[in-house]
Amino acid sequence: MRKFSALIVFLFLFVVGFSGIAMSKEAPKYIKVGTLYASSGPFAKPSTAEFKGLNFWVHYVNSKGGVYVKAFHKRIPVKLVAYDDQSSTATATTLYNQLITQDHVNILVADFGSVLTSVAVPLAKVHKILLFDVTGTGSKFFTPDNPYIVLCSLPTSGRWPYTLADFIISEKINRIAIVYSSNDFDQSQAVTLHNKLKKAGVDIVYYHAVPSNTSNYSIILHNIKAKNPNAVIEFGYPNNDIAFLQNLESSGLKFNMVFTVFPGQLFKLLKANVGVKALSYGYTYPTPPLLRYNKVNLGMGIDKFEKEFEKYSGKTPNFLNIAGYNVGLIIQKTLETSKKFNQLAFRKAIAGFSGKAFTLDGLFKVNKEGAQIGEMLPVAQFVPRGQGLKMNIVYPPSMKTAKAVYPAP
Amino acid sequence: MLSYALIGGIMYGLYFGLVGMGLNLIFGVMRMINLAHGDFIMLGAFLTYWLYYLFGFNPLIVIPISIVVFLVFGFLMYYVFVPKLLHSKDPEMLSFILFFGVSQVIEAIIILFFGNNQISVPSTIFAKLFNVSTFTLFGNTFPISWLVVSVACIVAFVLIYVYFFYTKLGYATRAIMANRHEALVSGIDVNKVSAIAFGVGIAAASLAGVMGFFMIGAAFPSMGTDLTTISFTIIVLGALGNPLGTVIGGLIYGVAIMLMQTYFSSWTNVLPYLLLIFVILIKPEGLLGKAVRNV
Repeated sequence: MRKFSALIVFLFLFVVGFSGIAMSKEAPKYIKVGTLYASSGPFAKPSTAEFKGLNFWVHYVNSKGGVYVKAFHKRIPVKLVAYDDQSSTATATTLYNQLITQDHVNILVADFGSVLTSVAVPLAKVHKILLFDVTGTGSKFFTPDNPYIVLCSLPTSGRWPYTLADFIISEKINRIAIVYSSNDFDQSQAVTLHNKLKKAGVDIVYYHAVPSNTSNYSIILHNIKAKNPNAVIEFGYPNNDIAFLQNLESSGLKFNMVFTVFPGQLFKLLKANVGVKALSYGYTYPTPPLLRYNKVNLGMGIDKFEKEFEKYSGKTPNFLNIAGYNVGLIIQKTLETSKKFNQLAFRKAIAGFSGKAFTLDGLFKVNKEGAQIGEMLPVAQFVPRGQGLKMNIVYPPSMKTAKAVYPAP
Repeated sequence: MLSYALIGGIMYGLYFGLVGMGLNLIFGVMRMINLAHGDFIMLGAFLTYWLYYLFGFNPLIVIPISIVVFLVFGFLMYYVFVPKLLHSKDPEMLSFILFFGVSQVIEAIIILFFGNNQISVPSTIFAKLFNVSTFTLFGNTFPISWLVVSVACIVAFVLIYVYFFYTKLGYATRAIMANRHEALVSGIDVNKVSAIAFGVGIAAASLAGVMGFFMIGAAFPSMGTDLTTISFTIIVLGALGNPLGTVIGGLIYGVAIMLMQTYFSSWTNVLPYLLLIFVILIKPEGLLGKAVRNV
């Protein structure tokens, strides 16, 4: 009887074990890509733009029969599972959880920006699912003990001002005012710039944070003017940049150099809100499509992408559409090269093509912590041309298209 | 810097007095918190944007249009929602839920028609109109748009004061604010007067929207929630149910914000709410609290 029982247990374990192996090798019907977007709230505009870019990628790969998954040696259609977090981190937390534990998505993609990504990072780590971080560049997300995150577009925000700092130093601009929104994205830029300039002996005459929902900078501009700086650097989200540039123009104050972040990413939006005059001679970080990357080895170049995206959505793409599409490309390459269909294998595959993949967003290269270090943000200046504006890259010298007009007339 | 913060704060505060005015007027008459208040400010901003880009209307021309449109809209809205609410068992709680729903619907409709983008009219529109971009007050230079907004706010406050204290309708409104049932017994057409007051409250909110571009930057569909919260803070500071106390609340809010931006900029958002807690602890009825039922 005891032998018979042992045989039954053995057979049971064998069948369960074997079927388990067989099931793990069975290709899924769909590759479930789970993400969040914000249809309302302060992040609605960039979030929906990014989501549209990801949707375009899904539409494009599915029109080719799906994405090639090396682990199963076949093309599998992609199914996008998406929920609306309404720009709320509380809602996003619940919905990320739902994507992981209820929908059992194969791929998890974060919502726009550092704020809405911040709640996904610990969840992804706990549930051991790789988070494809689109534009959450907060430097605190990337730690040596967390292999479950990869930043796909843009370098970590702490690296953004590297070229800006070099530009300021090279132009010998020696009195700087820095005002930044009190969130991780802007604060890490401000800290980097502050430290680099201090080290170079540049005098930081104004260095203050403001709440991220600041919508009136008039008094701050007046206080900055009292310190008589040669350059004013404002780190903020689009709402901050719009309010800052509008207040600057209506105040009648003049500075030799004014830098804001988002004109280089959301040029049309900023131009529509603040006008050509307010942007004239202003500086920014240019990103695609202002930067034109056509020599790529992954996905479409910028020219082709613009044509295809316009056909798909009827609109000219902005940077965030590109970022959304770009994360799709990284997912695609991951699945194409990962030998196994599990999260750590995905991470390993990414390490394999890191530094070799060049997309319309630039060089994709991540460090051990998953932070993006391949893309570099040059410094550009808008100069008036006819009724509009022309963007010149003024730094670094290897990318320079024109000399900076400094001081601004 | 101190004088700039104080003078700037007064101008900023006048605007925020206008922002809170409509909410307090409606609360005073109906004892209901209009949670869609900020959304009517947003609608005023979108109307301004739309008329500017479609017909080239200056915001000063939009002011009377906006007042008429939203006065009528508010008047009709009162008859659709409020009488039924007042007959319910718990009108105050139900009004919260109802106006929250209205807020969500307004936001969704605007997103449907305008998308999620921030929108603005040029910040220099008054500079072009008056051919002067700044003005100087006690040695401090401010944008001309601040002066225009301040004057518009003062005119609005004077008109509301005249409405309350020099018109029959105003007497009736004050009577309802003091005691709705007694006003009814004394022969006042409570529903009609309340509907007009509701319309005036919505129109005041829309006026704040028209002027908003020049004080709080770009407008966007979800801006309403924050504005409702700020308005609530302001009317509690002044006195719930006393529209004129709102001006005091607005001024305190404006000056507090400007002083904080000058000296402790990263703590700017904290002070108004600290003030709110302080006022509630020390004088729960608000700074002009006695006037709650007497206007």
